This record gives sequence, structure tokens and C-alpha cells, in this order.
Amino acid sequence: AAASRRPWRLFGAMCLLRLPRITQPLEKEEEEMAALMGQIELEKSHYSDHEIRKLGEEEQLKRRKEGLYDDDDEAPGKTVIMAQDLEDKWEQKFLQFQAAPRITDADKNNNRTSLNRKLDSNLMLLVKQKIGNQELWLLPQVEWQPGETLRNTAERAMAMFLGDDIQAKILGNAPYGIYKYKFPRAIRTEDNVGAKVFFFKAFLQSSDLSQTQPKADYLWVTKNELGDYLKLEYLKKVNRFLLD
Amino acid sequence: RRSTSPESVSPHILCSFSSCSSWLPQRVPLRGSHWQSSVLTPRTSLPVRAQPKKKKKVDVRKEQAQKDRMKKKLKKLEKAPLELIPIEDFVTPLKYSDSSRVRSLPPLSPEETERRALLLKKWCLFKQKQDEAEKKAIQSLVESQQEALKELRLESEELYQAAILRDEGLFPFERDGPSYTPPIPGYDPPEGKCVDITKVYTQ
Repeated sequence: AAASRRPWRLFGAMCLLRLPRITQPLEKEEEEMAALMGQIELEKSHYSDHEIRKLGEEEQLKRRKEGLYDDDDEAPGKTVIMAQDLEDKWEQKFLQFQAAPRITDADKNNNRTSLNRKLDSNLMLLVKQKIGNQELWLLPQVEWQPGETLRNTAERAMAMFLGDDIQAKILGNAPYGIYKYKFPRAIRTEDNVGAKVFFFKAFLQSSDLSQTQPKADYLWVTKNELGDYLKLEYLKKVNRFLLD
Repeated sequence: RRSTSPESVSPHILCSFSSCSSWLPQRVPLRGSHWQSSVLTPRTSLPVRAQPKKKKKVDVRKEQAQKDRMKKKLKKLEKAPLELIPIEDFVTPLKYSDSSRVRSLPPLSPEETERRALLLKKWCLFKQKQDEAEKKAIQSLVESQQEALKELRLESEELYQAAILRDEGLFPFERDGPSYTPPIPGYDPPEGKCVDITKVYTQ
């Protein structure tokens, strides 16, 4: 039986997310609450072994200073490691360690093609594609071909722009969103009314993409910056399935 | 204890309780005993008295009964409720209940308690708003997915069926959470050995 050709062309698009690598900064209320929780925990606690040792040694020092010697208590010349010394040693060791900065160079240069930017939020891949006779910034999309599922279409779209050896975990077989549009009247025919773009979501798992040669202009942007690139209607549909 | 006398009839083999002689008036049922109903079968071995034999049997039986009783007692003991494994987190070691350990801090001023109460209320509101925003976002995501599936169904039934199939490779999904600072590229962690000193209890 001849399948009735629907007038809509189908596209599969992939929303590739790079998940955050560092924690987001705390809000003001969160910081205040964290301080309060620490304070309450301190008040409700008892002294630990280290603190008792410290208090005991402070008492001993005070007694020695005031001139009340206990000669039989400790022989002169014996070096005793005080708890305070230990704490100083630990502090020194901590200061020697240099952690990687939270705000990277890419942040400072606002290099939007780099994956090292904005490590505390999700980054999405946008590519510049030619639709009709316009060059638009879109999530990578490719037309559906009969014989494959829409998920395969989305995977193909991803591989087309980033190479075959990209590793991503696609979240399920079902599309997350849809963007429908009708072609302008000039191109519209009976069989070709418009297109439906189905979005799929995936998490990027390969952490290093320097080997890949992207085939077109690409950008990695956060949800807030999507508005700089995407058209309004498209943006509205995409925002619906993005959690941030 | 098979009978060894050459003249004895072979059905003794069936009777395992018989002792050395071939002929015995016994209380124990002999299986092939119709061969021996006649009392006149010749005695071929020494006339061993019945009495000492009975003692042995009774002894044997008594010993066996004792053994069974002991086994039953052991089983009862084993069936006693298992000793529960103590949860070390819930048991405070006694050395921490010492009064010398109690922290001495100045009591809270009324302003401080006031500030704390207000902060808790603000926190409650903040968390409520955060939770509502999360729920709204999830709701919008689910709606968007439902709409997409509806449109897909209008397009093609087989694509729709392929889309609503369960993705077996998705779970178990593992991911390392974010840390405070990003990993240092090319960091060489110092060598060390970790000795596990957790106490393992067996029931």
C-alpha cells in the first residue's frame, strides 16, 4: 500500500549539553543558613580529643608563665609537640596547595567556542546552518531519512558536526520538544507545507574535543545566552525542555 | 555383625541386629525369619547368654537416645534469636559523656535568637520558591515532551512506536558530581596506602 505522503518534512535535532564541572556559587540566603548551621553544630557539640589536648597545653603554658613550676611533671629539654604547632603545620600545608581557578581563561576572553567556559552551568552546542536561503544559528539538525528512527537522525546530526567518535549519552528514545514551521509561500507546495523539527537531549561525555574538526561554525552557550542567537519562536520551544 | 558359622543359613544377612551367633530368640523382627521358626536348629556357636547382649543393645540404644537429645538441645540453642549487629553510629562511646567535655560558651542574647528565628523563616520561604520553580520546570519539560510525541504520532505511527520504546542502555546512569574547583590538568596525586579499619561483625 502506498504510504500517503504527509506534507511535513521531518528533521531530527540534537541538543548536546556539557554538564557543569564545578558547583554554583551559593545565594545570599544559602550562605547565611550555612553559617547558622555551623554555629548551631558548634554549640551542640562536645570537645574533641584534639581540643582537650589544646586546652590542657594552654593551661600548662599559663602555669609555667605564672611561675608555678611542676618540676617532676616534665623534664627540661624534652621537646613536646603542642597541638597549636600541629595546627600551624597543617595550615601551612594547606596554603601550599594551589587549586585550579574557578574562572578560567576562556571566561575572561569570552571565547564562546571553548568548552572550558562557564564551568558551573550547562553548555549547549549551536551550529550555523543554511535553511532555505538563510544562514541561521540552530541546534544541529539533519533531515530524517526513511528507515531510521528519529533518535538515529539526531545521532547522525551530532556526528555530522562533531565527528564520529564523539561520546554522548542520549536521554531516551523519545523527543523532548518540537518546533513546527511552515515554509514561506514561495516554496510551499501541496506536498511540502513545512517542517517539524524534533529535539533530542544528550549529555556530552567525552571531555576533550580538541581532536574533532567541526564542519561548520559552532558555539557552546549557556541557556541565558541562547537568546543572542536563536530566533524567538525557536527559542521559546527550546527553553521549554531545558532545565537550568 | 554377620554370622560367620558355616552351617548357618544365609538369611541372617538380612537381620542386622543379630550378634555373632546364628540362632537367637529375638524381639527384633527378622525379615527372613521364617527360616528360623524352628527352635530345633542346631546351636553352632558358643551359647552366649541373652542378658549381656540385651545390656549392649540397651546401652547402644540409650547412647543413641542421649546423642539425639544432645543434638536437639544444640539445635534449640542455635535457633535462638541472632545477636543483632550493633550500629556504631548510634552508640556513643562512654568517654564522650564525660562532663569535662562539655563546651562552655556564653548564652545566646535575645537579639541573636530573634535573628535566628527570622533567618529560619526566610530560609523556609527561599526553599519553597526554589522547590516551586523546580516543579514548574519539570512540568514544562513533561508537557513539551508530550506535545512532541503527539505531533510525532500524527506524522507516523511506526516512528512513534519506536520513540516510546524503553531505552535499555540509559540506566544504570552514573555521573560524578561537580566539585568546588575544576580538576588540575596533569595533576599527580601523592602515593599512599589506605588501611581499612572498619569492624566487621558476623551473626
